[in-house]
Amino acid sequence: MLDVKERPQTEVEDQAFIDGVIAEYAGKPGGILSILERVQERNRHKYLSKEVLRWVARKTGEPLSRIYSVATFYSFFNLEPQGDHTVCICRGTACHTRGSRDLLNNAKLILGIRQDPDGGADKLSLTTPDKKFTVRTVACFGQCALAPVVEVDREIFGRMNERELRKVIDRVDQKGTK
Amino acid sequence: MPKQVKLKIDGEYVNATEGQSVLDAAKANGKFIPSLCHVQGLSGVGACRLCMVEIAGGARPLPACTTPVQEGMVINTVSERLSKYRRMIIELLLSERNHVCAVCVSNGHCELQDMATRLGVTHSSFPYRYPRLPVDASHPRFVLDHNRCILCSRCVRVCAEIEGANTWNIVSRGVNSMVAADLNEPWGDAESCTRCGKCVEACPTGALVVKGKAVEEMVKRTQTVSRLATARGGSR
Repeated sequence: MLDVKERPQTEVEDQAFIDGVIAEYAGKPGGILSILERVQERNRHKYLSKEVLRWVARKTGEPLSRIYSVATFYSFFNLEPQGDHTVCICRGTACHTRGSRDLLNNAKLILGIRQDPDGGADKLSLTTPDKKFTVRTVACFGQCALAPVVEVDREIFGRMNERELRKVIDRVDQKGTK
Repeated sequence: MPKQVKLKIDGEYVNATEGQSVLDAAKANGKFIPSLCHVQGLSGVGACRLCMVEIAGGARPLPACTTPVQEGMVINTVSERLSKYRRMIIELLLSERNHVCAVCVSNGHCELQDMATRLGVTHSSFPYRYPRLPVDASHPRFVLDHNRCILCSRCVRVCAEIEGANTWNIVSRGVNSMVAADLNEPWGDAESCTRCGKCVEACPTGALVVKGKAVEEMVKRTQTVSRLATARGGSR
């Protein structure tokens, strides 16, 4: 039997919220996805901590390994705290041919994020140490005619270049925390 | 009493039980179909794609382990195309991680090695990826070496279906897939692990091994796993 000593490192009402969501999806197949999605959405840094995953596993009776497998399979689940703003760069084929790799490197330079150790990894989610920005990649936005495409805080920008990207990031930065 | 069906495998009529997989039916009738992810008694997942067979009436080959038998099926398990596919799968498995038989404790008792030999794979025509992967020796009795894992998910299934501990699962996806215990913890820290060792016995390669075993001693007892599965009423 699982022995969960620690309760999630969240506010008391958050625990109640998680329990409520779990109760709502009790016994429904595929409920884990919805539970994790809503719990993540509720979190200030939009992520699922190990404590939260443990709590969900205990409350749903699902094995820890299965919860973790689900959370790592879908790229929309974050296991690390996310920044206040998200810069999402398309790494699809059309955007790639229009220079999205340079754009990705530029975004990292602008935000001062160090190159990830294995360099070439095209799928990533990197957050600045001050938790202001997260840089992510996506396979395709479905807006290939506008390549290269960048999404900043759910707003799509087409035909991006370094100068425009810098402008958009500066503007979002000025606005401060959402 | 489950219904009996009659089908033809490689030109020979065989009897099978309804609901049985083509692979199990073939095995029960003494026919050999190459496979790596299948263990008698555990559920079939079609992970390795080695057991692909040609079924009359279908253009594409289907995995024998997840295809149920049907009355009047005509199955072909040997063909030029199938052996080409199977060899290619073995080559891809060998190039995906760091399979170095000379320094592996399972050398000589490895299903991947045996299958490569049996299918005539002497080398891989694909460039090796040489990924940097960790070795987890945190467990007091066993070792998990990701370098030798072929992601067949036998450990996942034996842990879930026979032991019921659900310690293992495949995390992440695509080329980053790995087996992991609980919340991707060191195996020794995994609270759900009962240390039964069934995953080790089910593992076809040297990815899961017993600590302190020398090369010739590290023999896996997959039949024990199958016997346990049958004993608890697993029919798959």
